[in-house]
This record gives sequence, C-alpha cells and structure tokens, in this order.
Amino acid sequence: MVAVTEAGPAETGSAEALSAVAARGVSKWFGPATALDAVDFTVRPGDVHGLLGPNGAGKTTLLALLFGLILPDEGTLRLFGRTRAEAGAGWLDGVGGFVETPRFYPYLSGRRNLAVLAGLDGGDAAGLIDAALDRVGLTGARQQKVRGYSLGMRQRLGLAAAMLRRPRLLILDEPANGMDPAGTRDLRTALRHLARDGVTVVLSSHDMAQVEEICDSVTVLHQGRAMYAGRLDAMRARAPDPVWRLHTSDDGAAAEAARHLPGVKTGARDDGGLVVFAAQDRLDDYVLHLGRGGIAVRGLVLDVTPLEALFFQLTGDTAEQAKEVS
Amino acid sequence: MTLAAQRWPAFAEPIAGRKRPGARTVYRMELAKMRRLIRVRVIAVLAIIGPFLAVAALHLQSATPGDTAFGQWVHVSGFAIPMVVLGFAAQWIAPGLAAVVAGDIFSAEDHFGTWKTVLTRSCSRGQLFTGKFLAALTFGLALGLLLTVTDLLAGLLAGTQPVVGLGGQLVPAGHATLLVVLSYLSDLPPLLGFTALAVLLSVVSRSSVVGIGGVVAITFLLQVVTLLSLPAWAQLALLSTPFQAWHGFWAQPAFYGEFSWGLVTCAGWFAACAAGSWLVFRRRTIGVAP
Repeated sequence: MVAVTEAGPAETGSAEALSAVAARGVSKWFGPATALDAVDFTVRPGDVHGLLGPNGAGKTTLLALLFGLILPDEGTLRLFGRTRAEAGAGWLDGVGGFVETPRFYPYLSGRRNLAVLAGLDGGDAAGLIDAALDRVGLTGARQQKVRGYSLGMRQRLGLAAAMLRRPRLLILDEPANGMDPAGTRDLRTALRHLARDGVTVVLSSHDMAQVEEICDSVTVLHQGRAMYAGRLDAMRARAPDPVWRLHTSDDGAAAEAARHLPGVKTGARDDGGLVVFAAQDRLDDYVLHLGRGGIAVRGLVLDVTPLEALFFQLTGDTAEQAKEVS
Repeated sequence: MTLAAQRWPAFAEPIAGRKRPGARTVYRMELAKMRRLIRVRVIAVLAIIGPFLAVAALHLQSATPGDTAFGQWVHVSGFAIPMVVLGFAAQWIAPGLAAVVAGDIFSAEDHFGTWKTVLTRSCSRGQLFTGKFLAALTFGLALGLLLTVTDLLAGLLAGTQPVVGLGGQLVPAGHATLLVVLSYLSDLPPLLGFTALAVLLSVVSRSSVVGIGGVVAITFLLQVVTLLSLPAWAQLALLSTPFQAWHGFWAQPAFYGEFSWGLVTCAGWFAACAAGSWLVFRRRTIGVAP
C-alpha cells in the first residue's frame, strides 16, 4: 500500500496559511499502540472534508486532536493557520462540533442543555437556541429530558449545540450515526448549505458512499496512517473498476465468456453467482454478449463503487471483508 | 421542520458581542444544574424539616441522650437541642451530605460522557475546574448555613430558657444564641475540608460512588481513629477533630486554641485536596482511547 497526497512539500507552506485545517506529520501514541502515524492533510475553507477509514483507523483520535482534547506527540496541527500554542485560549474560536456520539446531561431537557452550553460559549449564543432547535427539527422535543432522546435526536441536538458557536469550522464525528434515512438525507443537504455559506466541514465516516455524496475532499486513514489525502475528483480518477454481483442461468459458461472479453474479470462467489470487475461500458458489452450466447442474466447488482474499491485497496481490505464489516 | 428545510444564515454571521466566558460563568451554570438535581432538593428539604422533626422526636420521649454534650438538658432548654444535633450530625452526617454534590460534580461528567461536550466550548480546563470547585464549596457552605438557621429555629421553638454550659455555668438566652451560631460556624471549615476531599476522590476515581462513598467511609474511619490514643499532634491533624472545636466556646473560661489549630488543619487538608485535584484534572486525557 502506498500513501498518496495531492500537495507536495513545496506547496504545503502557503496552503497551510490559507487552509482551515492543516496537519503535518501528526502522530499520537497511546502507550505502545500507534493511533496516528505522521498524518498529513489539508482542508480548504468552505470545503466539506471527509475523514474516512474503518473502525480503529484513527479518525476519532484525529478529531479529538483538532478539538484540543488531546495533544499530538509529534507534528503540527493548525486551525485557520494557527497552531494551538499561537492561538492560546482562542484555539477553538469559530470551531464547533462533537467527537463520538454527542453527550448531554440526561436529567436536563434538550433546551436547558443548550442553555448550559450557550452559557459556556458566552456572547449572544443563548439567543440562538430556539432557532437552532427549530433547524434540527427538535422544537417539539425541546422540553423533553435528554434521557428520553433517541440516538438520532441526540445527533441532531449535537448539531444544534455546535451551531450555537456560529462555527467557521464544523467538526462532526459520524454525524449520520443513528439517523433514519430521511434524517441522513437532511443532514447531507444541511451540510452542503453550510458549506455554501462558507462554513468548513470536517466529518468522519466509515461509509464511502456517504462521503462520496457530500464531500469535496477526503483523507483515507488506515491503521493511523493517511493513505490518501486530497480532492475527491482526483481520487475518482485513480479509482479501479467497480465490482458487480452477477447471477446467471449458467455461471460456468458466463465466467468462460468473460475470458474472451477485454476489461472484464470474474471470480466465483462463495454464496453462488459471480463477482465481476468491469467498467460500466465493458459490463454493458458483457451482458449483451451473455444474452447473445443464450445465458440469462437473473441478477446484476453494483457491489462496490469505484471509490469504494479504491478505499478498500488503500485500506488493504478486500471488498468482501469490507462488505461484511459495513 | 427538517434539517434541510432552511439554511442557517443567522448562524453564519460574525459572532456579536461575544465576551469570553470565565470561571464565574461555569460557576453559574453549575449552580443552575445543581438546582435541577433531585438529590439536592431532597437534602435541602431534609435540612429544613429535619431539625424540627428532631425536636418533635425528643419531646415524645422522656429519656435524654445523656452521654452526649448537652444531652441531659434537652428537656430543660431549647438551646441544648441544636448543640446535641450539631455534636452528632457534624461528625457523622454533614460530610456525607456535602459529598453528595462535591463527590459527584466532576465524576458526573465522566459518567455522562460530557467532558467532551463542555471542553469543546469556549471555557478552559482551569475555568471549568474553578467554577465546579466553587460550586461544590457553595453547596457545602449553603448546607452548613441552612442547618445553622433551621437548628437554631427548632431549638428556639422548643424553649429559650438559659442552658448549662460545659463548665457548669448558666448561659443566658442571648449569649446562648450567639454561642450556638458560633459553634455551627466553627464547623464550616472542616465541612469545606471534607468537600475538597470529596472533589479529590471524584476527580481521581472518576466515580461518584467513590467520591461520595469514599468520604462517608473516611468519616467513619476518622471517628474510629479518634478513639485510639494518638499523640496530640496526630489528633490535631485529623480533619474530624476541628468538628469538636466548639466545645471550647462553652467552657468556663472559654478557650479558642482548638479552634485556631482546627483552622490550620482544615486549611492544610483543603489546600492539599484542591491542589491534588487540579494536578490530576489538568493532565487528564479526555474521551479518546486507542
């Protein structure tokens, strides 16, 4: 596996000064365990940036470092061009969000929780509470004790709490976790709106498809290392063929037919059927070829998108293992 | 309304009039949270009605707690009643009640997982520590002062006859009132010492069970140790000893040496517990494990 970054060392100086987030050689150890190993990545202002990786890749550790909850053992981290030492008490000015599932005081209502947090923010944050609750769809539950909230409601309350800080940088750890499909869709739209309003968003996820839909750039982490850091469109250009799941009336003959077609590779699946590696146009030719050969296609499903395939390559997982995990 | 239904223009505007909050803000927020806790409300109610229940219970029985200071006079003078209550409650109950808040105020954040929430706002660790510590002390002080008032009122309700002091002298009502108040106030320093101890246990253990239960256990342990024949300096170094300093106020002639030593002892315990709590809290890794 080879780590890939878009910007070379010569470009990094000016990029760091202009970036919302810049990490250079950031490492973190917990005893003998390496959580992060010389991670480099940059986030441009107004971008939605995805931190992508399987469980244990180091995403949450990296977000905790951004919030200053823990300190890096090596390397430099800058928010809006300033290190923590340079920013001092103002390190988190303009930064909002949460690490892991947002947590609140269960014996207080959603509204009172926000009032406590707004108090800790100072200024006019308290005046935004009702509007924030309205935006995240929790107006009806604002007087309900948080102990009765579902995971999805807590995620929404976490977003509202983050927005009270009027962030220029919004950091969210698995924000769609626990949300229903409609909530996830709304979240994506909300994040795009925020980015359009100039807010930089950094979010972690283990779901490539989700990141693909809303992110401009991405950092792929694996075992604490940044395997890719850069624009999503550049990543797309490197992506291998997608992976398809195929069921036919005669899988043996279908596999034999693929051998004679350029750009199409097949393999047997443990649960029956074939796994096919092919770009969309090659796959179209293959399906027509099967039809002409009297082999019926009974099922054809996109199993792994090109970016997912690249993600699995970068993180060393096979598509099958990754599917099992997800 | 859904997340996507509206954009967030108000939230994208520059922050207006934001003044960086300090420890005072944290303190206010902690008091606001404290007022919402059922156990705090229960303790407040018990502190208000408890002394009156004690007076009623003493009136219903003919026997007296004769083995305690002022115990033999509870049916003679109302001033004896708050002193009997003080002699018992200050050493056995009050530290535990103060620990209900102090032993939980830090570890509750661990229990609820909310350190990550509050530490990603605009307050520093130092401000959070100071605000929470002051809130715990405020509860301890408020509890001590509330018990002073309610115990005295309950005693006055029972009768305002002169009371016999510990030197056998007769103490008239006006002076007795003053001595009752001073006696209760003299127990505030050790109460604050136990409050600081509860905070230390709460910070170190990250457990409310240890923060509260630990103080109760230490209170009992110190009472047992007091029964041992320790050297005088060791007795004076115990945090429970200053709870007895008021005995000197009621002697004939009065003496204040124990009270003065008690202040030094309490200050030492307080400073050590506060410093230890801060050192542990300052270096703590929050919320992320490998």
